[in-house]
Amino acid sequence: MKQFILRRIAQLVLVFFAVTFLTFASLNLVGDPLFNIVGVISGIPDEQCEAVARGEIEDTKSSGLNMGDCALIAQAKEQNNLDKNVVERYGIWLSDMAGGDFGTSFVNGDEISDIVQERLPVTVRLIVLAQIVALGIAIPWGVASAYRANRTFDKASTVGSFGLLSIPNFALGVILLYFFTLRWQIFPSRYENAGWWSELKALTLPAFTLGLGLAATYQRLLRTDLITTLQDDFIHMARAKGMSDRHIMYRHALRPSMFSVITVFGVNTGALIGGALVVEQIFSIPGVGTELVEAVLRNDPPVVIALISVVAIGFVLINFVVDLTYGYLDPRVRTS
Amino acid sequence: MSDVENAHVEIMTPDDMVDDAVKKRLGIGFWIAVGWLGVLVATVAFAPFLPFGDPDKLAAGPPRTGPSLDNWFGTDALGRDVFARTVYGARVSLVVGFIAIAFGMVVGGTLGMVAGYFRGRVDQVISFMFFTLLSFPGLILALLITSTFDRTLRTVSLTLGVLAVAPVGRLARAATLVFAEREFVQAARVIGAKHFRIMTRELLPVVLIPMAALALLGMGVAIVAEGGLAFLQLSVEDISWGVIINDGRGIRDLQENPHVALMPIGVMFLTILALNFAGDRVREYFDVRETAF
Repeated sequence: MKQFILRRIAQLVLVFFAVTFLTFASLNLVGDPLFNIVGVISGIPDEQCEAVARGEIEDTKSSGLNMGDCALIAQAKEQNNLDKNVVERYGIWLSDMAGGDFGTSFVNGDEISDIVQERLPVTVRLIVLAQIVALGIAIPWGVASAYRANRTFDKASTVGSFGLLSIPNFALGVILLYFFTLRWQIFPSRYENAGWWSELKALTLPAFTLGLGLAATYQRLLRTDLITTLQDDFIHMARAKGMSDRHIMYRHALRPSMFSVITVFGVNTGALIGGALVVEQIFSIPGVGTELVEAVLRNDPPVVIALISVVAIGFVLINFVVDLTYGYLDPRVRTS
Repeated sequence: MSDVENAHVEIMTPDDMVDDAVKKRLGIGFWIAVGWLGVLVATVAFAPFLPFGDPDKLAAGPPRTGPSLDNWFGTDALGRDVFARTVYGARVSLVVGFIAIAFGMVVGGTLGMVAGYFRGRVDQVISFMFFTLLSFPGLILALLITSTFDRTLRTVSLTLGVLAVAPVGRLARAATLVFAEREFVQAARVIGAKHFRIMTRELLPVVLIPMAALALLGMGVAIVAEGGLAFLQLSVEDISWGVIINDGRGIRDLQENPHVALMPIGVMFLTILALNFAGDRVREYFDVRETAF
């Protein structure tokens, strides 16, 4: 077990560097970060500014430059370490990140750590709620299907879950928004956070949008595993002792049948994060997704890098924890 | 995307497949699904020659009207014909889906087969690459790439293709690992066949079968992902299903003329359903089991 954990930690560290470096490098190599900070004057050739520095020409309008443009450029470069190469900048950025300093936005100068603190909890709550919805639906549904496998209800469930898996989550979001908010006006059309009740109401539809498809995935897996478990001897034993079917299903059969669901739990969180970005747009929820899209559209690389890194790191960590849980639950995994 | 990403393969031998194929049928549902996809592809391919009108023509009918004989799917706020838009949107969506999965098959398939065939160091490096790719939540990676580059059809397709590399590659690797041990591959090795020949002549045909099933499912995933990007306003600047649905999802549009969003959603749903169903049938037919592991 110890070796298994160590190996996974080594993998985790490697993936962490790969993911953050990829994000950092791709957004730094393409496009001109200097342009994003100072605008058109970033086009002033270096030689010209060097000439100004040597005092050969003056930093004034007559030489085609505005007063102090070169100074501005120098300052921007200094502040953002733009003179250094990508690897060095990545190192500086990483150590700043580790210290909780995410830097500031190029566009409006906001502290990125504030943005993260404000936006991340909303998205996390949405994702947790979606998982609760998914499991809350999938467990009774899977149990009911497996209980009378291949009978009418089970066959109808197969069709139903197949249908659910074929609806893109943004389409489901639009449909739910249309019926529950606009036609029947059960849920608010705006995100409000005046206490937990109003937020819960605002997050219910988005959580169902994300959770229904996921519930279908879990239901399929749980059903298959349950059918296998139900053929085990200890189930016959329980039945022979005269336990009620409900007790057998939930108390005896359910737990050993959860392996597949637990395994895909981590990977699905990745799909959920992606889904959350989109669903936040539909229901105008001020989470990481909406901020990320705004940052991309206003061309603000530091914010984009920070948000993507936070999300990716979160995802890597979740999968790490899931892997460990799985190794703990199933001894075969540790040795493979 | 989860069930596609976690492909774990158990594959029957080719002999078993022949025996089983006699007993099994693809079933009527499969052919209905293929029929729908065929009609869709034909419509999309011949759209300019069919009397569907111009998707961008303003006031093709009175604005904000429901489905009628003139405008089968109604018109949007600018009076554009939603049916024509759906047909032309299908072009982009299907092309993106196809290019993405083709790219994933070629790149991921090659890498996966190389990893599964040579094993050792090569396998470690390639598997780590897949692992890293899968460590990004899919849509985040797509967002990273499209926001770094541009939003042309080519970039968006290839971006989604990059997403397909790891899942397809893992499947190809797993299948190659299984088949590389089998007698027909060892026989080829014994008579002195070169690595390249073994991989292309012996392994590729059998590895392609599970990949075909994944390709159908993956095309659906790519079409959905394109739609997701459209909702983030990071997809193509042309019209696609995602773009049309996104256009029609504003509160006012949804309230007054919901068909603008709901009609393309219906067509998209049927298409994804057909792709999923066909993929599932192919998988069952060849008895490729992909359990989530």
